[in-house]
Amino acid sequence: MDNENFGLAKSFSSAPVLSISPHTNFSQKEQTDIEHELNEQVGTTGEYVSEGFCFKLAPGQDQIGFMRSLKEKAPKLTDFAKGTTTLAFEFQEGVLVAVDARATMGAFISSNNVRKVIEINDFLLGTMAGGAADCMFWEKYVAMQCRVYELRNGEKPSVAMASMMLASIMRQYRGQGLSMGTMFTGSDKTGASLYYIDNDATRVKGRLFAVGSGGTFAYGVLDTNYRYDMSLDEAVNLGIRAITSATFKDSASGGVVRIYHVTNHGKWNLIHDAIDVSELHYQFEQNKGHTGRGNEGKPNKYL
Amino acid sequence: MWMGSKEHYDRGVNTFSPEGRIYQIEYAIEAIKFGSTAIGIRTNEGVVLGVEKKLPSKLMEPAKSEKLVEIDRHCGCAMSGIVGDARILVDHARVEAQNHRFNYAEAMSIEQITEAVSDLAINFGEGYEGTKRKPMARPYGVALLIAGVDDNGPQLYQTDPSGTFLQWQARAIGSGGDTAMTYIKESYHSNMTLAEAEKLVMQTLKSVMEEKIQSDNVEISIVRTDTKRLETRTQEYVNNIISTLA
Repeated sequence: MDNENFGLAKSFSSAPVLSISPHTNFSQKEQTDIEHELNEQVGTTGEYVSEGFCFKLAPGQDQIGFMRSLKEKAPKLTDFAKGTTTLAFEFQEGVLVAVDARATMGAFISSNNVRKVIEINDFLLGTMAGGAADCMFWEKYVAMQCRVYELRNGEKPSVAMASMMLASIMRQYRGQGLSMGTMFTGSDKTGASLYYIDNDATRVKGRLFAVGSGGTFAYGVLDTNYRYDMSLDEAVNLGIRAITSATFKDSASGGVVRIYHVTNHGKWNLIHDAIDVSELHYQFEQNKGHTGRGNEGKPNKYL
Repeated sequence: MWMGSKEHYDRGVNTFSPEGRIYQIEYAIEAIKFGSTAIGIRTNEGVVLGVEKKLPSKLMEPAKSEKLVEIDRHCGCAMSGIVGDARILVDHARVEAQNHRFNYAEAMSIEQITEAVSDLAINFGEGYEGTKRKPMARPYGVALLIAGVDDNGPQLYQTDPSGTFLQWQARAIGSGGDTAMTYIKESYHSNMTLAEAEKLVMQTLKSVMEEKIQSDNVEISIVRTDTKRLETRTQEYVNNIISTLA
């Protein structure tokens, strides 16, 4: 297997961009050395030799089988504890993207200031849920593919095309341990559109998505208040409200709210870069006449 | 056996003649001289690239940007010779430039882009063991003028089929290349403005072109030092320059 030069720039620069992502190399099976006989014993279904990238893969030849057996032998090893709240929805003025900013390592909060909206290029945005590196790397890779497409064809790829590039990569690496749940949105000739893509190679076009551990809480707020004919202001406020609620109930989400707006005219705008959710919580509670401390109607014990 | 006779040293692309020449490369360099003229001029304000677009028939649609293309947003390329060969080289340069941005989050320098093109240009013949890409069986019959702006300022390079690349202040290649070079040598000075350089490119093209110079048979692109962005000049802009020419 030719992935010994892992990490060298050389291994990247020979990437054949014709094939969107590394593909299965069946010709390798024709070798008749010891490695080949080992393959036969394991009963390989297909060997993944990365053409463009030289990732260090797990030992053995059958990557998918290895990941599966790892789940049995070491049940918790590959279950990364992760949490987030990201949401995006379509409305009449485009797509609104709202995210929190917390990164966790199990119970430990490693950061409250993460950028979970990845600015792929000037017309595409992707959100980050699951493995931060997997999201960032592959969405950046799609950005490169889009640019090469633009240079070759003299026009920008559509959002449908770009999202399919990412979904195809997820399909190629299916079962090999990637972790990604992203809302892929952007604006092209047909206006803004929204897709959900994850590491099972799911790709769905939709109106409204919330991804991550806090997603269910966000759905609660979104589903009760969402209308397609909202104005941009209403949409922004709904996004903020949904993220704030989710961060209040979900310990793996928190930090600040970031809001992006994808217009129908081929661009996106950053609306709010960082609004502190703990301040927002008190603000929303005080609007209802509450203190925000959750002690309404109870006598104060300590004074 | 043909090996015995001297005039057959040009049969193999990897065969030296006893005088130390590889004829196929020299023939490939000859192929450039059939190409349409391409000119590049470097100034402190930026770089100019200009090409002649031959229209062999009135029925042909004037193609957009066939011989003057974008490699990356800070780098353009003009070509002369076999345009089909150039497409392979240009595509390689584009992919390398984007890979560079992907890996290092910065623009590839003009020299590195040129080097990447030259690396591919000399990789012809039988190839070596372990290469996945099937190499070109013959040298690429094209010369490229690669111009752009990077951290070292505005730069102009020329590549040729032998894999050599040279840096120039002003360079002309193609059928009118030699004539154009003597013409440019008279008027070029190192503190030219970009507008003067554009005019010089057009004036030179006018003097070497067989057909009458028009806005639809020439093309001009520039990369400004301050913006570091490739801009293609519009037909109206080109027309304005043509009307001022002597």
